[in-house]
Amino acid sequence: MGNGATDTHESTARAPFAPWDRRDIPGSFSVDETARRVGNYKWAEMKLFEALGGWVATVPELDVKMRLGTHCYHHAWHADLWHKRLPELREMKPERLTVPANEAMERFISAMTEPEAPELTIEKLVGVYRVLIPRFIAAYTYHRNNTSEITDAPTIRSINFILQDEFDDWRDGEMLLQSLVTTPEHVRRAADHQAKLEAIMVEAGGITGADSIGTGETSSTEGGA
Amino acid sequence: MRQFFPVEDLARDERFVQTNMAERMKDGRTAIAVEKQSSAKSRGATKRLTPERHDASDAARGLMHGIMVGEIQALEGAGRTAHDFAAGDGTGDTVPFELKLDMARQAWDEARHVEISAKLSDWMGTELGEFAENTVLFEAACSNDPILRLAGVNRALEGLAIDVFTQMKEFGDVAGDPYLEFCEDWMLADEVTHVKMGSDWLRKVTANDPDRRTKALEFQQVVDKLFSFGGARGESAESSFSLAKRFRELAGFTDDEVETISAMDAEALEERKEAVRKYRERVGADA
Repeated sequence: MGNGATDTHESTARAPFAPWDRRDIPGSFSVDETARRVGNYKWAEMKLFEALGGWVATVPELDVKMRLGTHCYHHAWHADLWHKRLPELREMKPERLTVPANEAMERFISAMTEPEAPELTIEKLVGVYRVLIPRFIAAYTYHRNNTSEITDAPTIRSINFILQDEFDDWRDGEMLLQSLVTTPEHVRRAADHQAKLEAIMVEAGGITGADSIGTGETSSTEGGA
Repeated sequence: MRQFFPVEDLARDERFVQTNMAERMKDGRTAIAVEKQSSAKSRGATKRLTPERHDASDAARGLMHGIMVGEIQALEGAGRTAHDFAAGDGTGDTVPFELKLDMARQAWDEARHVEISAKLSDWMGTELGEFAENTVLFEAACSNDPILRLAGVNRALEGLAIDVFTQMKEFGDVAGDPYLEFCEDWMLADEVTHVKMGSDWLRKVTANDPDRRTKALEFQQVVDKLFSFGGARGESAESSFSLAKRFRELAGFTDDEVETISAMDAEALEERKEAVRKYRERVGADA
């Protein structure tokens, strides 16, 4: 505004990126590849929140019952974030990509949700907190660290919120397990069930398949110019 | 894990004692005033749950324990509805994805309510399992039609929770217990949200299916009447709880619906009084 107070103008011209802002364009995933991964995330988060909700009625331990109910919502919220991200990645029918990474992943969820009896709380918690959630943490961390920090910022923002939940929920679940596993027989049960599920998960390769953490044979599309 | 989970398999630790509603109502410590021959002194006195009632302490403790086990079942019911139905367009065995999300959110809310109720029960000097649990609430969450679950649980039973929490909030206020009043106020806010969820989804999912809507509303009325406890809820001073009309309106009940529930409560109260009168006649004749 020309108030005539001074003739000198302080320049407001600055570089588009501040010196401390080291974000860059190149990323490992194309839009299509990101959508595929996001669809796998949504499918797995849905299966997890459904399982946690269904199990609430089957566990007699009151503190576990309440934690499952709480975590059920966390994973439903994650599924919702991914559901809303899909149309932004050009997938206007989100259910089309809401699929498991592969047949083994589907089999893993069936095996994880198999325990129902009230005396199987250890098995239920092992499947979620010692096998599935660590895989989520791995896949999300790989995605966050390899996608474009500029073009895919919305996905990174969601992953950061979600990872906070995953770490908190993992800690809750692991502590519940440590409080329940109190005899050699419990240790054996927990280990056996973990081994059984882990074998299927290895076959699946992780939440998004063989390339869940970048070590699979499937090559990603290099982004950038 | 099975798709549908029967009420008799609900998992509980050894402290819980499950019974049916009739047995639960026989507990003399209930908040729902039991008909007794009124003395000249008590004649005309209100049956509302207030600190002035001679049995106020036991009645409030029993009610809080009932709320806690009800919250456990509501948590279980919401979790099951999030699990039992696939995401779809709402027809057949499917529910909209967003409805599943709402049920998951409700599961979290109910988990907090269990936490709050457990703290409140402890605050009021009640041991877990000191009162029996009836599982009618979860039974209402066992229908194969998710819309009937919403009508029975979210609209009828969570609607009742609005009435009960309003009464308990007032009880806390009158009794000078800000801890109780604070907790009830927060739970009441959640219950209004849950009833509104039920109202909104009932209308959306049945928008093109009037028969299904009618069936759901009929089921809601059955549950409403069952849980009016023979007129224990109603406008009359003879009822233990009043109908929280304003909060029900916030939760999506129409004026007509509120009036229908009010009329049903009054009818249930008259039926109970008539049953008590006949019982007394019979006992008198036997004596």
